[in-house]
Parts: sequence; structure tokens; C-alpha cells
Amino acid sequence: MFEARLVQGSLLKKVLDAIKELLNEASWDCADSGIQLQAMDNSHVSLVSVNLRAEGFDKYRCDRNLIMGMDLTSMSKILKCAANDDIITMKAQDNADTVTFIFESPSQEKVSDYEMKLMNLDQDHLGIPETDYACVIKLPSGEFARICRDLSNFGESIVIACSKEGVKFSAAGDIGTGNIKLAQTSSVDKEEEAVIIEMQEPVTLTFACRYLNMFTKATPLSPQVSLSMSPDVPLVVEYSIGDIGQIQYFLAPKIDDQDT
Amino acid sequence: MDKRAAPTNAQNSGAKKHRGDDDDDEMDFEDGFLDDVDFEEEVNGQDSEDIQGVDFVDDSKTDQCWARPACVQLNPQEDSFVFQQIEIDHYIGNPIEGMPGQQAGKVPVMRMFGINDAGNSVCCHVHGFSPYFYVTCPPTFNESHLGEFKTTLNRVLLDDMRSNKENITDAVLSVDLTKKESILGYHANRKVSFLKITVALPRLIAAAKRLLGEGKVYMTDIGTPIYEAFESNIDFEIRFMVDTHLVGCCWVELPAKTWSIRKEKLDTRCQFEVDVAWNKFVVHEPEGDWARLAPFRIFSFDIECAGRKGVFPEPDKDPVIQIGNMVICQGETEPFLRTIFTLKQCAPIIGAKVNSYNNEKDMLEAWAKFLREVDPDIITGYNINNFDFPYLLNRANHLKSQQFPFLGRCKSIRSVIKDSVLQSRQMGRRENKSINTEGRCQFDLLMVLVRDYKLRSYTLNAVSYHFLQEQKEDVHHSIISDLQNGNPQSRRRLAVYCLKDALLPLRLLDKLMCIINYIEMARVTGVPLSYLLTRGQQIKVMSQLLRKAVEQDLVLPVHRGSGSDEFEGATVIEPRKGYYNVPIATLDFSSLYPSIMMAHNLCYTTLLTGPQMAQDYGLSADEYIKTPSGNYFVKASKRKGLLPEILESLLAARKKAKNDLKKETDPLRMKVLDGRQLALKISANSVYGFTGAQAGKLPCLDISQSVTAFGRTMIAFTKEQVEERYTLENGYKHKAEVIYGDTDSVMVKFGVTTVAEAMELGKEAAIYVTEKFVKPIKLEFEKVYFPYLLINKKRYAGLYFTRADKHDKMDCKGIETVRRDNSPIVANLINTCLQKILIERNPLGAVDYAKQTISDLLCNRVDISQLVITKELTRAEKEYTAKQAHVELANKMKKRDPGTAPKLGDRVPYVIIAGAKGTPAYEKAEDPIYVLENSLPIDYEYYLTNQLSKPLLRIFEPILGDKAESQLLKGDHTRSRIITHSKVGAMAKFITKKASCVGCKVPIDSASEALCKHCKLRESDIYMHQMTALGALEEKFSRLWTQCQRCQGSIHEEVICTSRDCPIFYMRKKVQIELVDQDKILERFGAPAW
Repeated sequence: MFEARLVQGSLLKKVLDAIKELLNEASWDCADSGIQLQAMDNSHVSLVSVNLRAEGFDKYRCDRNLIMGMDLTSMSKILKCAANDDIITMKAQDNADTVTFIFESPSQEKVSDYEMKLMNLDQDHLGIPETDYACVIKLPSGEFARICRDLSNFGESIVIACSKEGVKFSAAGDIGTGNIKLAQTSSVDKEEEAVIIEMQEPVTLTFACRYLNMFTKATPLSPQVSLSMSPDVPLVVEYSIGDIGQIQYFLAPKIDDQDT
Repeated sequence: MDKRAAPTNAQNSGAKKHRGDDDDDEMDFEDGFLDDVDFEEEVNGQDSEDIQGVDFVDDSKTDQCWARPACVQLNPQEDSFVFQQIEIDHYIGNPIEGMPGQQAGKVPVMRMFGINDAGNSVCCHVHGFSPYFYVTCPPTFNESHLGEFKTTLNRVLLDDMRSNKENITDAVLSVDLTKKESILGYHANRKVSFLKITVALPRLIAAAKRLLGEGKVYMTDIGTPIYEAFESNIDFEIRFMVDTHLVGCCWVELPAKTWSIRKEKLDTRCQFEVDVAWNKFVVHEPEGDWARLAPFRIFSFDIECAGRKGVFPEPDKDPVIQIGNMVICQGETEPFLRTIFTLKQCAPIIGAKVNSYNNEKDMLEAWAKFLREVDPDIITGYNINNFDFPYLLNRANHLKSQQFPFLGRCKSIRSVIKDSVLQSRQMGRRENKSINTEGRCQFDLLMVLVRDYKLRSYTLNAVSYHFLQEQKEDVHHSIISDLQNGNPQSRRRLAVYCLKDALLPLRLLDKLMCIINYIEMARVTGVPLSYLLTRGQQIKVMSQLLRKAVEQDLVLPVHRGSGSDEFEGATVIEPRKGYYNVPIATLDFSSLYPSIMMAHNLCYTTLLTGPQMAQDYGLSADEYIKTPSGNYFVKASKRKGLLPEILESLLAARKKAKNDLKKETDPLRMKVLDGRQLALKISANSVYGFTGAQAGKLPCLDISQSVTAFGRTMIAFTKEQVEERYTLENGYKHKAEVIYGDTDSVMVKFGVTTVAEAMELGKEAAIYVTEKFVKPIKLEFEKVYFPYLLINKKRYAGLYFTRADKHDKMDCKGIETVRRDNSPIVANLINTCLQKILIERNPLGAVDYAKQTISDLLCNRVDISQLVITKELTRAEKEYTAKQAHVELANKMKKRDPGTAPKLGDRVPYVIIAGAKGTPAYEKAEDPIYVLENSLPIDYEYYLTNQLSKPLLRIFEPILGDKAESQLLKGDHTRSRIITHSKVGAMAKFITKKASCVGCKVPIDSASEALCKHCKLRESDIYMHQMTALGALEEKFSRLWTQCQRCQGSIHEEVICTSRDCPIFYMRKKVQIELVDQDKILERFGAPAW
């Protein structure tokens, strides 16, 4: 028997919005410690990792590990039926081929339940090895979304250059070039509005805009985003999911000689 | 390339300069040809003697069996000489005494190559035939002007010539006044005066025509009228054949005393070389005994080159290492000669003679000598025109071989490569190389197949699988070098492969009866055999038209290319779609278009411009007709049309051939007759096309649009008649309904329930309706479909009955089973479903089968060869307006490896792989082998929605109705998928695979464990399960491997075949990968403890 009750149901809705652009279907791995989802996007260029800790749920029960393959388009349709302040419960039997979503209004006046057919997805479990990153940039998530959106008008890829002075995002294309520089915020009043750079060495990497723009769909989850970079390893874009977990996107840097 | 290539190029560009504004190909060819001769004579003085001397002595010692049978001594005074000609050309040579025609200067001489019954090769020089054409005669022109006209034209012509290598003084041989009639339009059968102008050389025709047309010929009494030319655009060979009643590949007899035999100074390598006057020989119509075929030698060869890795072989760098040869006699089943020429020593091969050489130049020269010695009449092979021949010639050129490039029968003519372009409606634009081999007809199988068959792939492997159901080992050219550099055994392996490639074209030619069918086509249409492959459709109709026109003193105007006026095509009756579980009778018009032309006397010669013209000729209203498209033609009572006459004789000949076929017992002669009736049918149908081809030699839209208009009204009329007659009121049990009609057929639902009843009514209706049409239009009852699935216009399927008791076959039209722009999975699935629906009459079984296939697709259980789509790369990238998958992929592959990348004209195989959302399909195309090797994920969604869904829904909608989509495409069977992860790509190298439980897929911490703690309880169960899976894979792999070993013909050597057309290859690759993975899974269970 699996059961997870999340008071802040809107978080789950936002998580789904953050991944459904990239994935058509995915397996949710449910274990004692919590729920995990890890999958590569259809084109196998980026990887998404969602982690929801058991402690973050109001009620969490998982008798034995199980995997639930879900069609994310269908799941998103179901979650659209939940109001933002609803409490969401996910329930499944140990060897079931369906999962049940229960939406309770805060006043308990309205309870709706939806059952969805599961998919049998046979896929490998993937992971990214732990890495020490040469620089970690924290910035307001809205700002990052805006930068990616603006620069994607110029070219297909964005260069992120991180140095002691700050971080520079730039793009070049047919119509011209665009550069956005963010300096480290000197005085920190509100942490989530600040630009904070932790750096061992300067790093400059290039990434495809279309993926960054898909990652920024997670912006509503958290006011702050962190970008971790090291030469020749994938960029990590991380948003926290309230206080119950986080979502990470991995994207391999573009190498110059590769597809022009 | 060195000096050898230079003259060729210079000569080509020179030829181009000669081109007038209205020149024709003939002139062009002529120039090139002359230059060739000149050039050869210089270089060749010592060569030809040298070669000949060596040749005959050498070979008579080694292999007697290569040569042709010895020839019998003949006396021209007493014996007649009979042979079958297969190739006709002409050259410019010296006149021979005692022959008709021009006696001074150079004259054109026709040359017929052929074979006599004993199998001796023959070259017959035909003298005295001069080229001519007609021009209109100005009204004031009479006999007295002929002399002046001739001298003036002669002077103007000589002035116009840029060079006069032949020292021609009399360019115009004669001018005659003749009474002829233009073929175009009705002229009340009145003949008018035409000038027949005979010139010295064929190429002068175009010049003379131009000068006369431009008003360059001034005469004192007449001035400079514009002379309109007739029949000036006819190939010289065709002209000759028409005037002497020769048809392609017919038997020719030279009666005693008319011919002479050459004993010395032979021009050619033929055993007999004879001279005859053009009006003295006898042509035997290919009827009765004269329909037989002489024992032609058909020579098939294939070369192998040692390419470098990643580069397609280039003749100036990569050597030719092997040449495999097969020679067969027409009419025999097995080649009598199998030889292989190899570079470096090669182990012996049973049944074949191996000739090894240490020097490549020696090998090439020995091969050329061998070819000359075998003296084949027909040379075949696969893609020899565009690959093997040019490669050999370029290579020999590179090695500076003087003796190699004499592959034709003329001793003094060097074989050179030229580029030729063939533009035709039927085939599109094709660029080809052409190599001259005088007297030997080149019959490239690839060109035949591309012309006559629509296939998914034209590789020899795919073709042999398609027609012979045999796979063939395909050694990639990058491996060839390794085999060559190995030992005699590895070279033997290559040699076996090479010999097989030389044998397959012969077997295919035999199986498809190409040669016999083409010979019959040449006989029926009266053009030389080689024209059938190198020229378009029109020349065939043109030749027939000319033959008939000559009989009636008609002349053909020269058509100037004009814009394209579209006209309405055939009609279709709106289909009443559905699944009919009752018999549907089909009524067909037999030979619809030819019979319309015959019935209504539609022809060039009967065309009236309008009712006004009819009045001018004093025709009464019942002497001409108005066609449904508003054109006017006179009736046969006033003038019998030429085209109807041609068609009548073609159809009569076909009837006769079919009757003879029934009586014939000899299998070879049956083949000939069958080929004949087929050729006659095709010819009859192509007459209509000829009148409609705007870019053609003599298009006439009035005819073609009248024909289609008649067709349309006839279909509508038939529907009306059938539905009017077969009603309840007229005493029939059911009301008949025409559910569909196309160009020449209507489908009728009579409402009866058995096939026999439907047949009865069908026959009756056909007779009833036929009575209402003008003869010879005939509506025939042909077949009954039961059940019948009518999907849309030109899309239907049904079980085909011609007898009441048993169906003949399943007939599908326009359904994905026969199209080639989709993947095999579609064709196979649709085909099986149709079989289940129509033959087994089990629509639900078909639904289940479709679901199962979709489920297999989503779970990666479908073989990748089923998913391969192929498209031909027809144009360079820039010429495609929109981006296309196969073009993009060809570019991608070129970057990876320029050697194996597809080239222009190749069919590119690809599969669609998964991409990010919104990625256009053209970016997702990938090479199937690359996909297999890197286990790239396939875009199953694409195959489901873009390939399978529409065809599937089309056939199931008539059965399942609206539920079809949800049942088939969204059911439970779509909810199980297997997702693979690519081994290449930006992320692949960073990701580590986490271990998961073999039993329930839950991630577990250590990779050394196989199972999670929940599944541990069932360990033995799961282990056994995995063992069984491993065993199954192992068995599958062994079977595939054995299959491939059998195909390569050796069971103790590694399989190296990489044939992209072979489904077994893909399966073998896939199983190989799966087997490795499965093995790893079992390792995780640890070593078995006993």
C-alpha cells in the first residue's frame, strides 16, 4: 500500500507543469524515503530529477518500493481538476495498475477522487554522479527566466560566463547580439532577491536556449534558482520545491565543433 | 587524369558549339563520332595490329572454348546469307564500287551487327542509303526550278559549314518534287507538292532545314519563301529502318549474288564482314519461324575495387582488384563460361576459371582481350553503365593502358565515356554515362529495373530478394580492401562474392524475361534494341507512325516545343465508401483509350479545326463528328485515320500472338509470344500518351482531350444504363447500384448474395451496355469482388473472383501495401489485417492483430528493418524547396563518413528517432545501422501517429465506425512501453546507470546484487526466467548467424555482410546487442553455486 498526503497540493501541480514540457511519460519511484523521478527528455539531451522527501508530506506510507509509470499529459489533466488550495492524496495498491488522486478542499466540504491507469514503463534508472562544481550561482528565479526568454530572441544558444565580477549571459544571432551582466549583490537584505556567486575558478559554457526555457517552467516553484557549473560537465539548474524537496535539471554544454 | 581525357573533353565542348538553335541530338552525336574516328587513326596505327597479332595467337593456345564456333565458308555467288541483327548504327566511310548512291567523297554507311543461326558474329555494311527530308513546295515552284534550287542550296550549305573534314563538294545530292500530304489535319485526301531533299550526310539535314526555314535560300523567280520542313527530326537509323522495313532484332537475308564478303582489311572483330546495297537485302517479318532468336552471347560482369576506408573508390587512386564474368547463350539456362580475373593469387573456385595477375594493368588488358575474344552481343551487369564501365575505362586510362579501351566490335574505335541526359515524363530526369561499344548492345539491368519496376530499393541485394527470394551477401566496400590484402583464401572469398554479383543479373534477366520482352518490343515498335533503354517512350510510337505514314504518302511536320495546356483527365464516380459483404461485379472497358480512338476515328489525319472547315470541304453533318470536348473529326467513311489503323493492327497482332501462345508448346517460344503480346499491349496504350505529350515530337491535344472526354461520358453512360435497367420494376430481385467508377471500370452492386449470381448479372450487363456503344468499344465483365472494402477514390481492396468457386487473389489498390514511401511495418500490418478481414472474414481478429502490433511497436519488440523508410535522393540539397528527412540525413552521414554516405540517385534508408518536443521530423531521421549500434530510441509515437494511424483507421473505419480510433490507438495495449537510452549524445557520457532490481525494477543500492529484498524471496523463479530469456536469445542469434553463413556460402568464416536491405542483418545486430545485455543481467546473480 502506498499513500502520500500533501497539504500544499499546489506544489504538485507546479511540479507537473515544470516537467511535462520535457517528458511525455515518466516513472515515479516510491520508497520509504520519498518519491523520486528521474528521466531523460525525449531527445536525450537533458535529464530531469525530482525528489520529494517523505518528511515533507503530511502523511506518507510506503510498504514496499514501487514504480508507477504515468502518462504525464493525462496526469496533468487530472491535476488541473484540483484547486490551488486543495489537499492532494496519492494512493495505490502494491501491485495495482491504477493510481488514485484524492482532492480535498480545505474546508473538507468537497472531496473528489480520480483514478488513472498506470503505464508499464521499462526503462533504466539513471543518475548523475556527485560533482564539486567550480561555481554555483544563485539568483532570483524570475530574473533567470527573463534572461533566458530575452536572449532566446537572439540565438539558439546562450553563453554563461562566470567570473569574480559577476555572471554574464550572452547570445548572438542573425539580428545581432545580446549581453546581460549580473553583479554580485553586495548587501543581502532578502536572500532570494540577491545574486550570490560561490566560485573556485572562472567558467564559460554554452547551452541550448530551448532547453533552458523549458527548465524555467519551474519558476513558480521557488523564488530562487541555483546554477552549478564546471568545465565539461552538465549544468545543473536547481529549484527547491517548497520545503519538501527539489527539482534538478541537467543539461550538457554545447561543444563548438558539434552541430553547427 | 591525363592527356587521354583531354581530347574527349575538347570534342564534347566542340560538339556543343556546333549546335544550332534548333539542332537535334543526332547532329551532336555525329560530330563527336567523327572526331573519334580521326583521333583513333592517329594513335592507333601500331596498336591495332599489335593487339590483333597478340590476341589471336595467344588465346587460341589457352582457351579455345572462349571463342565463337568456327564459321562455315560461304560463297556469295551461290549462297544466301541469313542473320538476326540486333544493333544498327552508321558511320561515315568511303563508298564501295558497284554500290548505289554517291560515289565520291565520304558517304554514310549503315552497319548492322548480328548473329547467324550457327552463332557466328556478323557485321553487315549497307551502302547507298542517303539521308533526306521534305520541305513544303512554294506555289510557283515547278520542275524547272529544281536545278537552280539544288545548286543554290548546295552553295549555301557549304558556306554554312564550319569545317569540311570530309571534303564534301555535293552536300545536296538531289531534289525531287513529290506528291505528299501532311499528316496533320484533314485535307480531303488531296496530295500536294513537296520537295524531297537528299543530302550527303545526316548532320546536314539540320543545317539545311535551318537555312531553308530562315529564308537564306534565294532564287530569282521565287525569292526567299519560308520553307517548312517535314521529317527532318528523324534519327538516321530510324529513317533507314522505316524505308527498308527493318524492325529491331529481325532476321535479314542477303540473297545470293547481292552481297560480297570481306576477306582482308576487316574493320571489325566479327567473324563475317559483308557488304550489301541498301535496296537488295530481304527483311523477314518476325512471324512464324522468323520469330526465333539466334544464340546471342550475353556477357555479364562485375568489378571489385579496393577502396580506402570511408571513401568511395576513385578510379585514379583505387585499383580494380577483381572482375567476375559470366557468359550465357540465349536460350540456355546455365552460363557456359565463368571466369574471374584477380589481382594477386586466388585460391581455386569450383566451376570457375581463375586468372590471377600480379600487375593490375596486365589484368585489365587481359580482361579486355578476353572480352574481345568472347565477342558478346549483349553486355549486361548491375549498374555497369554508371559504375563498372566508366571505372574500368578511367582506371585503364590512369594506368596508361593503350590496349584496354577497345571494347566494341570496331577495331579502330576506342571506347570513351560520355555524359548523357535522358528526360522523360515516365522517369524524370536521369543523368547517365554512356560508353560506346559498337556492335554490342549494353543492357544494364539496373536501368531496366528502374524503368519497369517500382521498388523500395534498387540495390542488387534488394532486387534479388524481391524477384528471386534470395538474400545475397553484401560486403561493404571498406572491408573489400582487407580481404584483398589477406591471403589467397580471403581473396577467393571475395571472388566468390564477385562471381555471384555477375551471375545474379543473368538470373534476373532470365526470370524477368527482360531480353525477350525487350526484343519483342523492338520488333513490334521497329526501333533498335538499344533505343529502348537509352531513349524515351516517344521514339517507339514515332517509328510506328512513320511506317504507316510512308505507306500512305503522308509526311510528318516538325513540331516546335510549346507551352503546356492542361486538359481534363479521366473521371471517377464518387465512391460510396464502406465494407461490402456482398459480391461487387466489376465491368471494364477493354483497351479503353485505343478503342475510343478506333471507334471515333480520332487521328491527326482526320482532324478538322471546326464546323467551318467541314463546310469548306463540303462535308455533310453525318460525315464528321463533334467530340464531347468540342473537337471535330471526319468519319472513317471519308478518311480512315492512321492512328486507328496502327491500333487495329497492334490489337489484331496481339490477338494473334495470344492465340499462337495457346497453341505453342515450346517454352522458349511461349516466352517470346508472351513478350510479344505484352509489347503490343503497351504499344497500343502508349499511342494515346504520344498525342498528349506536349514536349513530344507530334502532340495533338485535340486528340488526347477528345479521348479522355469520350472516356468520361462513357463511364457516366454506363452507370446510367446499369442503374436504369437493373431495377425492381424491371423484374430484378434487387436494385443495382454503381458504387464506384474509375478511368475504365465501374463497380456494380447488384444486390445478390452469391458470386455466381453476380457473375451472371455482370456478364449480362456487359453485353447489354456494349451494344449501345460504337464498335470496337467493348465493356467486359472481368471479376467479382467479395467482400469489398471501398475506402476512397482509387483506394480499395477486395477478394478477387473470376470463377464462382474459389478466389484468385486479394486485390489492393492505392492502399499502403503497395506504396513505397512508408515503412514496411505499415504495409505488413495493413496486408495482414486485410487478409484477416477479407479472406478469413474475421474483422475482430484483424483488430486484435493490429493492437498486438502496436503494442510490440511501443515495447521496442518490432524489428528495426520494419521501420525503415526509404526515399530517393533525386536532387541536390539546394534544389529541394522544403527540408526533407532523407536529404538532411544524407548530409549528416556525409559528415560522419563520406564513403558510405548516399549519393544522388541512391535511395536513402532511415528511421525516425525520438527528439525533443516540436523537433521537425526531418531532423529526427537517422541511419538504421547507427541507431542499432548506439541503441538510439526510436520515435514510436511518430510511427504510431504519422505512419500507422491513418492507413489503419481508413481500413477499420468502415468496420468499427467511430470507435476505431479509441479502440486501436488508445486502448490498454498502448500503456506498456520500453524506453531505451541512447549511447551517444551530449548527456550519455555523464550519466551512470543505477542498478535496479531484476524482478521489479526498483532501484537498489549495489550493482552486485540482483534483487531487492522483496524479490529475493522469488530468486530462483526470477533466475530461471532470465535464463530462459538468455537461452531464447542465444538460439535466435545462432539461427540468424547460420542463416547468414548459408547465404555467404561458407560456414567456417566470420560473417561480414552488412546489407542494409536484409531484415536478417538488422535482427542479427539487434540480438547481438540484446544478448550482451542479458548476459550482464545474469552475471549479477553471481556464479551459480552447486
